This record gives sequence, structure tokens and C-alpha cells, in this order.
Amino acid sequence: MLRSPARLLLRHRAGPAHGRHCHRQQGSGSGSGSDSGSARPQPPEPSLLRFLVCPLSKRPLRYEEATNELINEELGIAYPIIDGIPNMVPEAARMTHKKPPAEGSEQP
Amino acid sequence: MAAVRLWRCRCRALLSRPAGAVRARRGLAAGPEMHFGFQTVTEEERREKIYQVFENVAKKYDVMNDSMTLGIHRVWKDILVHKMNPCPGTLLLDVAGGTGDIAFRFINYVRSVRQRQLQRKLKHHQNLSWQEIFESYQKDQFNSLGDSQVVVCDINREMLKVGKQKAQHLGYSEGLSWVLGNAEELPFDDDKFDVYTIAFGIRNVTRIDLALQEAYRVLKPGGRFLCLEFSHVSNPLLSRLYDLYSFQVIPVLGEVIAGDWRSYQYLVESIRQFPPQEELKAMIEDAGFFRVDYENLNCGIVAIHSGFKL
Repeated sequence: MLRSPARLLLRHRAGPAHGRHCHRQQGSGSGSGSDSGSARPQPPEPSLLRFLVCPLSKRPLRYEEATNELINEELGIAYPIIDGIPNMVPEAARMTHKKPPAEGSEQP
Repeated sequence: MAAVRLWRCRCRALLSRPAGAVRARRGLAAGPEMHFGFQTVTEEERREKIYQVFENVAKKYDVMNDSMTLGIHRVWKDILVHKMNPCPGTLLLDVAGGTGDIAFRFINYVRSVRQRQLQRKLKHHQNLSWQEIFESYQKDQFNSLGDSQVVVCDINREMLKVGKQKAQHLGYSEGLSWVLGNAEELPFDDDKFDVYTIAFGIRNVTRIDLALQEAYRVLKPGGRFLCLEFSHVSNPLLSRLYDLYSFQVIPVLGEVIAGDWRSYQYLVESIRQFPPQEELKAMIEDAGFFRVDYENLNCGIVAIHSGFKL
């Protein structure tokens, strides 16, 4: 229950969870949003990828070079890599598809 | 100014309060209400406030540690790494290690062990062929850590930024990676690390029980948990002096050096709120660790707790 997608959805449905963290990212110059558009996004270290999993589902992640994100296909969320540091907190993650995989009917 | 007066009153109250009273306050922590220093806050508020503390102090963190402890924190961290005694090949997860203090020490330690190993090997093997000499240089150059790796995980972006800059400045790159993550919800696979360290970090974790469970999960069977944290001084005279120093000197140093009184006041208050040695030991055992043990340093000002996943 603790690691269900529903928990993530709740966090995101609560809305400003992402926004709340935004002000902390201003200093670096490349926030999670602008990262894909910046000239040279820093990829994570390859040796690190063998340890990393999604903190919610504890399932392996796929590195997406195009967006410089770590993607959990199952839950449909992407963790940004900012200045070469994977940002592995669900609050910073982005939903990759609009339609949530479960409990979609609860959406207001 | 009013805040200063309030603080002074609170200090005096604290100093005159018998030691047991602080503990009794902690008993009230049950339920969703948590402590942020001596304030009672909700879990979410606590997370936010602690984030702000470390966001504020990140840039001055090292200078402040040196001035507050007169450099002794370096010795404590050295002792932690000596206790770990990592051999080349060790995989370390250093949680709440944003500024890299433990990671850099670990790398230095493993490098020196590795060097000694190679020297010993060469001593017993005097007549080398050119091929072997070539190989030994290659090994030296590209594998000075013997495949050891340290992953630094911290929830605070500012602390990680400072650590990464420090690493670049000091020339550490091989076998070192940085991850932003929550100790209560680690983004690492099960049974991956040989050692888990958390130095002066667990006190700031909101759900210590979850952090300990996560430490247990990511450690390999046989892996070791090591925690360096401020603890409780048993000697009554020293305890008085320590309180005096903590409440009268540290926030002033915080204000003078880092321009931040409140963060350092939180620091000293949070030390008083943190479970004493035996209580933390019991919590580590509850998470499933075996052979849990602790060592007091400087009469209990700090303690190193150790446990194994078997």
C-alpha cells in the first residue's frame, strides 16, 4: 500500500507538490523542466544506474537519453537528472502519460 | 531582539531542568506531532523546516563544523571510516552525506589500502616482466580503488551541490556518485551495498524507523550499518559545560559565521531531542540488525552505532 501508484497520484493530485519544490531549483539555472532543452544535459554515471530503482515501486528504471530522465514505465513517471544528479524523490517526478494507469475514475 | 530574550529564557530553563525532564518531553512525541528542535510541529512542517535549515547552511557547513567542534568533527569522521575499515571493492552508500566528508575519507582509505596491497604483492614478486610492469601501472592508474564505489545520497540539493563542487576541486571523481534521495524511501535496489553510513544525518530524518528499515533493505547480507551522531553525555559536570557551550556559544557562532542563528539553534535543540545511545540501539535492533553495538566518543558527545544484516 505504501508503495502503490495511488500514493504517487495522491501526491500529484494534491497539486502544488511539484511547485513547492520549484523555488528550490531556481538557483541552479537548470531546473527539471529546462533540463531537456539546455545545451548539454549531464547524463548520470553509468555505474550508478545499476543501483538505482524507483523509490516508490523499487523497480528498475530506464534511462531516457532524449529527455535525460530515469523512467518508471510501470507507474508512468520520470525522475529528472539535474546537473548529473538523479533527483530521486517522487515530489520531483513528472507523470509521463496523462491517463493514470489505475484509479483513473477518481480523477475529478 | 524579543526572540533573543525568549531564547535566553529557554536556555536558562533548560540548564536548570534536570536531565530527566528533556527525556519526558520526548515521550510526548507519539502521534503525528513531531519535534523541530524544541518546537512541536507536524511531520510535513518538520521536513520543510529541516530542508530550509540545510539549504541555508550548505555553503558554510564545513566552516561551521570546524569552528563549532574546533575541528574535532574531522577526527570523529576519521574514526568512523577506520571502524568501517573498507577493503578495495567495498560498495558504500553514504546517506545524508551531501558535502562528501565521509565519501572522500572512504576513497582515501581504500586507496591507501589498495596501494599497500599492491606494494606487498610486488615485494614478493621481484623479477617482473615488462608486461607485468605495464599491467601494474595500468591497474594503478585506472583502478586505484579496486572497484570500490561510494554513492552519496542526500535529500538536499544545496548540500549535494556543495559536495560535488568540493569533489571537483579536490579531484575526486572515480568511484564517486551523487544521488538526490530520501533516507526513508531510498532509490536503491535490495541487497546492493556492503556498508551503509549516515553521519550526523539520522537526527534530521523525520521517520527514523523507516530510514533504518531502508538501510537494512539496501544492504547485502553481511553488510554493515554505521551511524555517527551526536548523543548524550553521561558525566554531569561535562554535561553542564556542554549545554552551556551548545546553547550560549553555538547559535552565536552560527550568527557570526553563517548569518543564521535559528538554524544553529535548531541544531543544538535537535541534539537534545535525539534518542540516547541505548534507545537508538534498540531502534536499530528493531529494524532487524544483529550485533548492534555503540561506541561513545568524547564521553558521549557523539556515538558510533554499528549493526550487521545477517
